Amino acid sequence: MVEFENVSVTYENGVDALNNVSLKIKDGEFAFVVGASGAGKSTLIKLILKEVSATSGKIVVNGFKLNKLRQRKIPYLRRTIGVVFQDFRLIPNMTVYDNIAYVLRVIDAPQKYIRSRVPKVIALVGLQDKMKCYPKELSGGEQQRVALARALVNDPAIIIADEPTGNIDPELSFQIVRLLKEINNCGTTVLMVTHEQELVEYFGGRTIAMKNGEVVFDQILPGENAEEEYYAN
Amino acid sequence: MRISSMKYLVGQGVKNIWTNRIMSFASFCVLTVSLLLVGFSVLATMNINRFVSGIENRNEVIIYLDDNISDEAIVEMEGILKQTENVSSVVFYSKEQAWEDEKAKYDNADEIFAYFEESPLPDAFRIRISDVSVMKRTVTAIDAKFAPVGYIIDIKSPDDFASILTSLKSTIAVISTAIIIALAVVSMVIISNSTRASVFARSREINIMKYVGATNTFIRIPFFVEGMLTGAVAGLVSSLATWLVYENVIEIFQQEGDLWKALGMGEFIPYNTIWLQVSLAYIVIGILFGAIGTAASTRKHLKV
Repeated sequence: MVEFENVSVTYENGVDALNNVSLKIKDGEFAFVVGASGAGKSTLIKLILKEVSATSGKIVVNGFKLNKLRQRKIPYLRRTIGVVFQDFRLIPNMTVYDNIAYVLRVIDAPQKYIRSRVPKVIALVGLQDKMKCYPKELSGGEQQRVALARALVNDPAIIIADEPTGNIDPELSFQIVRLLKEINNCGTTVLMVTHEQELVEYFGGRTIAMKNGEVVFDQILPGENAEEEYYAN
Repeated sequence: MRISSMKYLVGQGVKNIWTNRIMSFASFCVLTVSLLLVGFSVLATMNINRFVSGIENRNEVIIYLDDNISDEAIVEMEGILKQTENVSSVVFYSKEQAWEDEKAKYDNADEIFAYFEESPLPDAFRIRISDVSVMKRTVTAIDAKFAPVGYIIDIKSPDDFASILTSLKSTIAVISTAIIIALAVVSMVIISNSTRASVFARSREINIMKYVGATNTFIRIPFFVEGMLTGAVAGLVSSLATWLVYENVIEIFQQEGDLWKALGMGEFIPYNTIWLQVSLAYIVIGILFGAIGTAASTRKHLKV
């Protein structure tokens, strides 16, 4: 669960990135966050990941009170969140398998569990044949699926996808969102930041629009193909 | 932490050396050069100190005795001298022995000294001083002690030699310490800059690791292993290089042995008596420099 209560962020250079934002994303929800560049979407994600701290207001993520969270506890917060970035952020000198396994190694998972869990997640995103490939040997869509598998592998309570379709073909974009929807259907909360209107219109669901650091719209949209997608799943 | 996780992290450290081989090689070179600079300064200082100590040990104070002194008094005096502070050895040098030694210097001594029925030289004590910087004080004390009984007719002590040696020793100590400290500081700066560049090239990787919830320790261990291994190899190579260079330098000086001895210089410290200490010091310092260098450089990038 993510809860913002009157959160404002002013950066050191004086820019007001977020202005008195209050919102709540419940467990199991799927929400789109939309808005133009500079609307405050990235700051929202940085706050959830505790990359930046709020200037004022309260933030609770998966039970962690971020205002009081000590620096050395940040890794433990991040282990409850799976993140997918626009630029994939895969470790270049690790294979697909090792990139995904790294998340489990970080939490000191047993070797046996890593060996059984990683291939399952790789299969889930359809990359069984690319397990030993390095990121540079994969297409943008494939890299994004690896990033998605990495976000999923330790069963996080929430997945945050920051413009996950920004660097891939439109057709693949739909695949990625479908995968996120499937993950959400299994109970994982998903927060997807995007500026692609078509995706939001196509899939529908809770949509949070931001402008100039404020939430200007927060409603559930029907979606053109929501029903079809539902039955397809 | 599980053993399997530890094994993974150590393995990553080893693998990273190869993956980032250009940067690793640069760090290795910097470490090796730094170690050699400091190492050779230390070895040079050790040898200079040895030469100086050698010269110092050759000091000799001669105490000439009165002709009327009895054998009992000589024995008693020897005992007192041996217990005197700062006196390291006492040897009685009889007038007969002195006369024999004097005569031995001439081929036709019997002709020259035919008029002498017995030794015209006095009995003497030859003593050595442990700390030449206080030679004068020691000699004065001895003189004062025996003045009332009148056993001593003269004392010959190399005072100039003592004062030159004392100032030479302190100058060497100051200069060598300053050089070694300066080299160590310069080395640390170069090492930390080269590892900083190496870590900077991987700041994005560190960043990603932070995002997936890795703790600072988890991220640092492979860097530590990498730094320690690079340092250990640099230490090993430095000790081999030192061995080769040192032995060759000694050989060159020994070929010029006569000149070397004429300069009053003693023997070099043989490498086989110090190789273990030198190698261990190189490896331990290499490991330490490598590990600290990388750990300090990762610090900045871990704040994400």
